[in-house]
Amino acid sequence: MQNTIQAILRATSQIILGKERQVKLSLTCLLAGGHLLIEDVPGMGKTTLANTLAQVLGLSFRRTQFTSDLLPADIIGVSIFDLNTSNFQFHAGPIFTNILLADEINRATPKTQSALLEAMEEHQVTVDGSTHLLSQPFFVIATQNPKHHIGTFALPESQLDRFLMCITLGYPDALSERALLKNQGGRANAGSIQAVCDVESLLKLQRLVNQVHVSDALLDYLQALIQHTRTQTAEGLSPRAGLGLRQCAQAWALIDGRNFVTPEDVQAVLPSVVAHRLAQESDVAKQILEQVAIP
Amino acid sequence: MLDKVWPLRFWKLGYWQQWFRVVNSANNVAILNPRQIYIIPTRWGLLYAIMLIGLLIGSINYSLSLGYYVTFLLASLGNIAMLHTWRNLVHLQVAVLNSKPVFASESVAINLKISESKNRPRYVIGAYFNQQSEVIHDINANDALTVEIPLATQKRGWQSLPRLTVYTEFPLSLLHAWVVIENPFQFLVYPKPSDSSNPNNLSADAITQGSSMVTKGDDDFNGHKNYQVGDSPSRIDWKASSRGIGMYTKLYSGAEVHTLWLDWADTSGSTESRISQLTRLVMDAHATQQIYGLRLPNNEIAANNSEEHYHQVLTDLALFK
Amino acid sequence: MNQLLNFQLLKWLLVSLAAVLATHTPNLPVWVIIASIGFGTWRFLMDKYRWPFPKIWLLLPITLLICVGIVFTFKGFFGRDASLSLLMVMCSLKLLETKNIRDYMLVIVMAYFLVGNLFLFSQTITTFGLSIPPLLLLTATLIHISYKNADKPKPIIFYLKLAGQLLLQAVPVMLILFVLFPRIPGPLWGLPQDANSGMSGLGDSLQFGNISNLTKNSAIAFRVQFKGAAPEQSQLYWRGPVLWHQEDRSWTMSSNKIGLQTESLKVFGKRIQYTMTLEPHNRLWMLMLDMPTLIPHDANLTHDYSMIAEKPIRTRLRYDATSFSSYQLGVNLGERERLLNLQINEGENPRTVQLAKSWQGLSAPDKINTALQRFRQLPFVYTLKPPILGNNPVDDFLFNTKRGFCEHYATSFVYLMRAAGVPARIITGYQGGEYNPNGSYYIVRQSDAHAWAEVWLANKGWLRIDPTAAVSPERIENGINDSLDETDELPLMARADYPWLKKAYLNWDSVNNSWNQWILGYDDKKQLDFLKKLSGKNMSLQEMLMWMIGIIALILGLTAYFLIRKQKAKLNPAQRLYAQYLKLLKRAGLTPRNGETTSDFATRASKNLPNQKTQILDIAQRYNVITYSQSPNPELLQDLAQCIKQLNIPKQS
Repeated sequence: MQNTIQAILRATSQIILGKERQVKLSLTCLLAGGHLLIEDVPGMGKTTLANTLAQVLGLSFRRTQFTSDLLPADIIGVSIFDLNTSNFQFHAGPIFTNILLADEINRATPKTQSALLEAMEEHQVTVDGSTHLLSQPFFVIATQNPKHHIGTFALPESQLDRFLMCITLGYPDALSERALLKNQGGRANAGSIQAVCDVESLLKLQRLVNQVHVSDALLDYLQALIQHTRTQTAEGLSPRAGLGLRQCAQAWALIDGRNFVTPEDVQAVLPSVVAHRLAQESDVAKQILEQVAIP
Repeated sequence: MLDKVWPLRFWKLGYWQQWFRVVNSANNVAILNPRQIYIIPTRWGLLYAIMLIGLLIGSINYSLSLGYYVTFLLASLGNIAMLHTWRNLVHLQVAVLNSKPVFASESVAINLKISESKNRPRYVIGAYFNQQSEVIHDINANDALTVEIPLATQKRGWQSLPRLTVYTEFPLSLLHAWVVIENPFQFLVYPKPSDSSNPNNLSADAITQGSSMVTKGDDDFNGHKNYQVGDSPSRIDWKASSRGIGMYTKLYSGAEVHTLWLDWADTSGSTESRISQLTRLVMDAHATQQIYGLRLPNNEIAANNSEEHYHQVLTDLALFK
Repeated sequence: MNQLLNFQLLKWLLVSLAAVLATHTPNLPVWVIIASIGFGTWRFLMDKYRWPFPKIWLLLPITLLICVGIVFTFKGFFGRDASLSLLMVMCSLKLLETKNIRDYMLVIVMAYFLVGNLFLFSQTITTFGLSIPPLLLLTATLIHISYKNADKPKPIIFYLKLAGQLLLQAVPVMLILFVLFPRIPGPLWGLPQDANSGMSGLGDSLQFGNISNLTKNSAIAFRVQFKGAAPEQSQLYWRGPVLWHQEDRSWTMSSNKIGLQTESLKVFGKRIQYTMTLEPHNRLWMLMLDMPTLIPHDANLTHDYSMIAEKPIRTRLRYDATSFSSYQLGVNLGERERLLNLQINEGENPRTVQLAKSWQGLSAPDKINTALQRFRQLPFVYTLKPPILGNNPVDDFLFNTKRGFCEHYATSFVYLMRAAGVPARIITGYQGGEYNPNGSYYIVRQSDAHAWAEVWLANKGWLRIDPTAAVSPERIENGINDSLDETDELPLMARADYPWLKKAYLNWDSVNNSWNQWILGYDDKKQLDFLKKLSGKNMSLQEMLMWMIGIIALILGLTAYFLIRKQKAKLNPAQRLYAQYLKLLKRAGLTPRNGETTSDFATRASKNLPNQKTQILDIAQRYNVITYSQSPNPELLQDLAQCIKQLNIPKQS
C-alpha cells in the first residue's frame, strides 16, 4: 500500500512542480474522505492539480465553472420528459463523477452552492422525489478567488465547515518556475500521466486511514487544541472540525508510512483544517500551535 | 428592610464590603492572590464551633482522652477546611469579556471569564454583583469558563461595573471565602422605553409631518443599489452581474413605504421622558421594519432600517445629554 | 439557599446517621434504636414515594411521647444515658422535617456531637476504630451538601475520597492539640450518678460468693510493671481492703473513725519497685503488693496498711509504689485491736466453736498448723461452684460440704482462729498475675481476685496465712486456671486451652496497655511529665500555648503551601526518561518551545549538536513510538533508557 501512495505522490509531483506539501495535503484530504477547498488567484494550477489527481488515481473527473446563472439542476442533473417512453428520464449532472472540480464556487448563487454542499454531505441527490447515489469515492475540489469579490457570494461559515481542508497553492519557487517555463510539468504534460491506482485500492486506502492508531496521549493533545480554540479565539472549532482534524492526522500518518499518529501529523494538517473555520485572522493556526503545549 | 435599622446594617456583609481590600483588574484580568481572599465562618461554621466547645467541655468534665481526640480532630478538620476553601478560590483569574446592551431597568448579562491555571478543578465557585442574582459554577482544571452574571440597571448611558464578589464555601460549607473585584469595564445601557400606551406617542400627524415621502414599493423600477447580503435574489440585476460589472440590486418604487423621522421636537416633557418616548418609537419602528431616522437637538442620524442603524440610534439616545 | 435537596444526598445522610446509630447500639435502650430506625425509614419512604411531610399535629404528640419514654426509662432527663437517648431520637425525628440545607446542616452537626459522645461509654481501641467510619461518612455527606451543583452530581466516591483527604490532613494538627492543649483536670461539675456504672472490682465487704462471681469476669483489674526483677508468682499478693468486722454473714472493713494506731512496720531484704495502672472501679482502694512502704502522695494508708485514695477511682490511675516482701507488721497489738480481731458472732456455728475449744492447750502456731492440716487432710475441694450453705455457714462448710472457693477458706479459717483465741483478719485483693512478654508487664484480672488471712502471733506480728494454698497449692503457684477442674466456668482468657489465642490476646493486651498508658492516661500530670521529658524543663501554661499555636501555624502554613502548589501531572516511565533527556539537553542550552513536537525539537537539537545527532533522533523516534503507537514493544523503553545513557552532552561553560 505504501508503494501505491508513494507512486501517487511521485506521479502528481511530476506535473505539479514544487508543491509537494500541497499535493500531500490534497491526498490527505482525499484519503480522509473529505472535500477540499483551494483558495487562490487564477492561474496557480488549481485545475491542473485536480485534473492530475484524478488521472493518477484513475478516477473520473468533471469540471464545472460556477457562474451566477448556474442553476442547481445544472450541477445535479434534471429529469426530462422522454416522448418515446412517455417517462421522465433523469439526466445526470456533472456531480456524478469521482472528482468534481467546482471552479470559482463563490460565483454561484447561494441556492446553487447549497445544492452542491448538500450533495457533498449526503453523498446522494434527490431529484423529483427519486434519490440517486453519487459515485464512490466522491471528492469535491472547490476553488475560490480570495481577491476579487465583486459579484461573488462568499460561502457562509456553516458551508465552509463542510470542506475538510482549505489550502492555498501560492507561487512556485524559482526552480519550479524555471522548470515550468521550460515546459516541463504543468498542464501541457498532464495528458501523458498514467493511472497508478484504481478505485478499489483508493477505497481500501480510505479504510486503512481509520485503522491508524490514535493514542490517548494524542487525543489529549487534540482536545487541548480544540479547547484552546473555544476559549481563546472568537469562534471555536465544531465537533465536526475536531473529527476532521483527527482523520486528517490519521491520513497524514498513513501517507508517512506510520500506523500511529504523532503530534507532528496533527501540526502538519492543522493549519489547513482549521484556518478557514476560524475567524479570518492571519496566522491563527500558528498561534494555536504555539500556545498549546503537547501533553 | 433590615438595613434601615441602624445596628442591623453592620450585620450584613454588604455593609463591610466598602472597607475590604479590593482586587484590581490589571489589563482587565483580576488574579485572586492569596492575600486578597477573605474568609469567615458561615453560620454553620459557628454552629459547628459551638458543637466543638460542647464536646471540649464534655471531654474535660469526664476526662475523656478520646473525647479530646474527636474534639481536636473536628477542630482540625475545620482548620483544614479553611485551607481548602481558600485554595478553592486562590489563583483564579477573572476577566470581564463583554455584555449585550440592554434597556434601563432591564437586567444586563455581564459575561465573565473565570480561568483556572493551577491544574486542579475548582468546585462551586459563586459570583455575583448583588446576592439576589448569583451564579454558581464548577471550573475544570486548566480551563476557562464563561459565566453570565445578571446585573440590574437603572440609568441610561455608559455604566461602570459595580464591585464583583467571587466566593466559595466548598468543601464543608463551614467557611465563606470571598474576594471583591473591581474592573474598569463599562457597559452601555439604552434608555428605558416609555409605555407603548403612552398618550404622548407621536400622532399620525407628526408622522406625516416628519416623514419625507421617499417611497419604496414594488411598482416602478427606480435604479440600482449595491448588492447587500439578504437582498432578494429576484431583485438582483443578473444581467448586469453577468457583464462582470458587479452585483447590483434593482430598486423599485411604490406608494406604501415612507421614511419615518423621529424628531426630538415632536416629543414633550422632561429630557428623560422625551428620550423614553423616542426610544419607544425607535423600538416600534424597528419592530415593524420601517425605515427611520432620528433628529436630536445636536445630532441627526440618517434614515435606514438595518440592525446596526437600530443600535446606533439607541446608543445616541443613551448618551444624549 | 433554600433549595430542596436531592434524593442521593438524603440517602447518604441516612447512611451516615445509620453508622452513628450502629456505633451507639450498646448504649441505647431498644425502643430508642427502633424509633430512630423507624424515623429514618419513614423519611426515606417519604422521598421515594413523595409522601407529604408530616404536619405539626403529628410531630408534636410523637415528641411528647418520646419525652415520656425517656423519663420513664431513665427516671429523668438528666444523666449520660438519658441525654444520649434523647439526642439520638430527636436527631432522627428531626429528619422528618429536613427540607433544606439548614436542616441538613443541623442534623450533621448533631450527628458529629453524637460521635463524640461515644467515648463517654467506652474508650477502647475498638471504640476508637468504630468512630472513624461515621466521621468519614458525615464529612462526605457534608461535602455532598456543600456541592450545590445538583445538575452535575459527582459519584459518591468523589465525596468519600475528599472527606478522607480532609480527615487525614486534619490529623497532624489534631495530634499537636492532643499533646499540647493544656489538659484541665476534670470534672468541672458533679458527674451524674450513672457516669461510672458498670465498673467492677472488689467490694468493701466479703460474703460467700462475692469473689467467685468476680472470678468469672475477665476484665483487667490492673497492670503492673516492675522495675527490676519481679517477685515469684507465689509472692504476688496484692493487698486490698482488710476486713475485721463480722456482721451477720458478711465481713466488713473496720471504720477508720475508730482511731486505731497505724501498725508498726519493719521491712527487710530487697526493695521491689513497680508502677501500677489501676483500672477505674469506682471505689477508694488502690492495690499494692504486700507490704507497701512508699505510697503515692495523694493516697492515704490506713492503720492496717490498705491504701485509700481521696476520691473514688473513676479514671484509670497510674502510680509508682515500693514494697518489700519480707516484713514484720504490728508486733505490738493493742488491747482494743486484739479484741476487735477476736470478735465473732455469738451463738453461731457451734461445731466450729467446739472444735476451736478443743485446741485450748495448743500454742498459737500449733493452732494454725492444726487448722491448716485439717484443710489438707480432709477431702476439701477448691471449686468455683460451691454448694449453698445453711444457717451456720462455717459449720456447714467445715463439716459437711467441704467444697468452696478462696473466700470460704479464708473466712472459715479466720473464724476458726478467732474462736480459738488467735487474733485474725481477712485480707481481700488479688493474687498472682499473668506476665505479658510484649512489654514485660503483668496483667491482673478480676478473675485473679483472692481472699486470704492474717493472724497475729506474739513477737512476730501479723503473718499472712493463705488457707487456699493448703487446699490447692496450684492456685498460688500457677494461677487460677491450673487449680480448677471445671475450667469452662472461667472466662476464656483465663484458661489455658488455646495457646495461640492466648498469645494473640497478650499481643493485643500490650497494645491496649500502651493505649491506656499513653492515649487514655494522658492527663494533666502526664502531659507535664511528657513535656518535661521533651523540653528538659517544666513547661508553663503560657509556653505550652505558645508552642501549640506556633507549631499549628507552621503545620497549617506547610499544608497551605502543598495545597496551592501547582499540581504536577504524574509521569509515566517514558515521560520520566524523556524528562531526563530534556534535562541533559538543557545543559547545552536547548529547551523545547511551547508546542514544539518531539521530532521538531530533536531536529533542532541535532543541528546544534551534530555529533549527537543519531542518538537524539533515535530518542525522539523511540519516544514517539512508545507514546503514540498501539501496544509498543516493552523493550523499547529499555532501548530508550539506553539511548539516553549514551547521550553525551558537555556542560556549557
